[in-house]
Amino acid sequence: MLSDAKTRSIVIQCALVALVAAFPALLVSTTFANLRARGIPIGFDFLRMPSRIVISEAILTYKSRDPYYWAIVVGLANTVFISALVIVSSSVLGLILGIARLSSNPLAAGTCRVWVEVARNSPPIVLLIFLYSLWWKVLPPVGEALNPLPGVYISMRGLEVPALSVDIASQGLFLLVIALLLAAVGWAPGRRGWLPPLVLAIGAVGLWLAEAKFTVDWPAFTGSNFTSGKELTPELTTILIGLTIYTTGFVAEIVRGGVLSVGRGQWDAGQSLGLSRGKILRLIIIPQMLRIIVPPLNSQYINVVKNSTLAIAVGYPDFLAVMNTIISKSSHSIEGVFIILGVYLALNLTLSSAANWYNRRIAIVER
Amino acid sequence: MKALSLPLPTEPLHGQIRFAKLQRPARLLFGTPLNAALTLLFGALLVVTVPPMLRWLVIDAVLFDPNPSACRAASGACWSFVYAKSGQLLFGIYPFDERWRPAIVCLLILALLGWSVRPASWAPRLLALWLAALALIFWLMGGGFGLPEVPTSSWGGLPVTLILTVVAIGVAFPAGILLALARRSTMPAIRIGAVVLIESVRGLPLLSILFVASIMMPLFLPEALLPDKFVRALVALTIFAAAYLAEVIRGGLQAIPKGQYEAAAALGLPFWRTQYLVILPQAIRVAIPALANTIIVMIKNTSLVLVVGLFDLISSAKAALADPEWPSPAAETFLFIGAIFFALSFSFARFADFLERRGPAAH
Repeated sequence: MLSDAKTRSIVIQCALVALVAAFPALLVSTTFANLRARGIPIGFDFLRMPSRIVISEAILTYKSRDPYYWAIVVGLANTVFISALVIVSSSVLGLILGIARLSSNPLAAGTCRVWVEVARNSPPIVLLIFLYSLWWKVLPPVGEALNPLPGVYISMRGLEVPALSVDIASQGLFLLVIALLLAAVGWAPGRRGWLPPLVLAIGAVGLWLAEAKFTVDWPAFTGSNFTSGKELTPELTTILIGLTIYTTGFVAEIVRGGVLSVGRGQWDAGQSLGLSRGKILRLIIIPQMLRIIVPPLNSQYINVVKNSTLAIAVGYPDFLAVMNTIISKSSHSIEGVFIILGVYLALNLTLSSAANWYNRRIAIVER
Repeated sequence: MKALSLPLPTEPLHGQIRFAKLQRPARLLFGTPLNAALTLLFGALLVVTVPPMLRWLVIDAVLFDPNPSACRAASGACWSFVYAKSGQLLFGIYPFDERWRPAIVCLLILALLGWSVRPASWAPRLLALWLAALALIFWLMGGGFGLPEVPTSSWGGLPVTLILTVVAIGVAFPAGILLALARRSTMPAIRIGAVVLIESVRGLPLLSILFVASIMMPLFLPEALLPDKFVRALVALTIFAAAYLAEVIRGGLQAIPKGQYEAAAALGLPFWRTQYLVILPQAIRVAIPALANTIIVMIKNTSLVLVVGLFDLISSAKAALADPEWPSPAAETFLFIGAIFFALSFSFARFADFLERRGPAAH
């Protein structure tokens, strides 16, 4: 009977399903037995209790008497904040670096090559710890802060940047409107015409109704301290700079590959059609390049989200660090692990489905 | 494959660039306005950054002076700390009198790696050699049979990094092949199981997997079966590597034309022999560049085990820096650690380039 391929396949699958079902069942039963033996309660009720944990810095406001679920949201916001900034800055830098590596100028190409090789061959965690150890060695005290750009100061205390402050009755409403706008803009490009401007107009009216006032606060040094402006701590700045240096190396290689993959014949063909350089670039070269670089770029962006967990190495409270504190404080480890797994899977699936959607939009339309 | 390698239209262009590079550096630096601007920009950048870096790294640095006060006086780097503490940096908290054992282990692993990259030594014999070497390595590190025993909690530094890398990749490779085959299986239960496992591992940061391994394992395993920290981290690294390697190998499998399967079926080969004799050798050869990239990522990833309390290179550096007699030269020490990782992955990357140039069709 076992020589029959179909029967054999069914037997193998049943065995696998039984194994897959039995293994977690065994694990769960041991786990519950272990937990009961230690007197640890199970359930998500603890999320509403005051957390009393310390989160050293956060994008959202947080007080230690806030409940656990808010601590989790605050950690998640930190992770999203780091990832978004690193993705944007490394994309811009990577584009420049990738093109500069193709330059015939040996100085430019060589310098960029060194950057790419160092970034691709060193562990990001070592890079972060190294940069962090430089912080107090290289930078001056706050009174003699470096001022590389107008409004930007670097010192031992951290990085001071101008802040865009939004004076609004309810920050939540503001975030909601922004999210709606982004969703509408993301959904609309396929359809041309009146819809996107209308959505933007509605959003603008909404913001105006919500009495949003934007003001820019420039950092100002008064006596011993910086007032106004936004202060980024050494930890946050290290992570942003370190992960940007690291990711830029990978983005640059992807961009370089993309440029090289579009043959010279495409330029010649565009010129023979009488197109200008800008038009050739915009209509012929970039669309073909995008098609090649979007899938690998997307996996780099997902890597940025994953690498943001390295924030733990310099003590910045990202989502994983906050969850780790919560687990050791509340001893709800099972629930904590489920939240960790769920959140990262959701984040990465969101990113990759957004990229897949974009990829479909720019893919070759075969008729 | 030969028929596909028509001369590419870009080839003459490359030739020109190379020729010009040899002939006229001045024209390359200042030939066009853009090039002149780039030269000035990057030249200025190098002039501003390189001399102070060199001064700190070499000229003002303390190189071998074993006296910590020399470092306090100097304005440059304190390499004598790295030199004086090299034993602790490389071998962590391994008992001082037994340090010759991890030293031999490191040399053994590096020598074997060097031996294994020669295409001439790729034979089933190599696998047996590695298995024998691993037994020797674990005996040397752990002790027993005449050597004083050293628990894994005292292992540290470079041997931990090397053992984790080699064992995790060594176990993950066959596991990845099985997962890749499972994902392409016609049996839905097996396929779905493989997809769920691969995609959820790939969707998670390695750190979270390491945390789960160190938090959850004590909960869901009976106390007696509980492996120590080293094994827990090894299991997490292996699962992580297997999921990534599986996807790379699946990419190679997809490149194999249907005719190969049909030819094997016509010869009457059963499933496993088809895979072993016909499909996998070709698929793995196609996947070599991507495999090499994944392995470089794994070499770098082993540095994360410090977060779950294993004593790898970074933690032994932190321990060495805690010595109050020295002025705690953190930047130099982490530069040294970074250089070790860089040397490992950079040399592997060059090896991968060599394999790629050698071509997937070469025998």
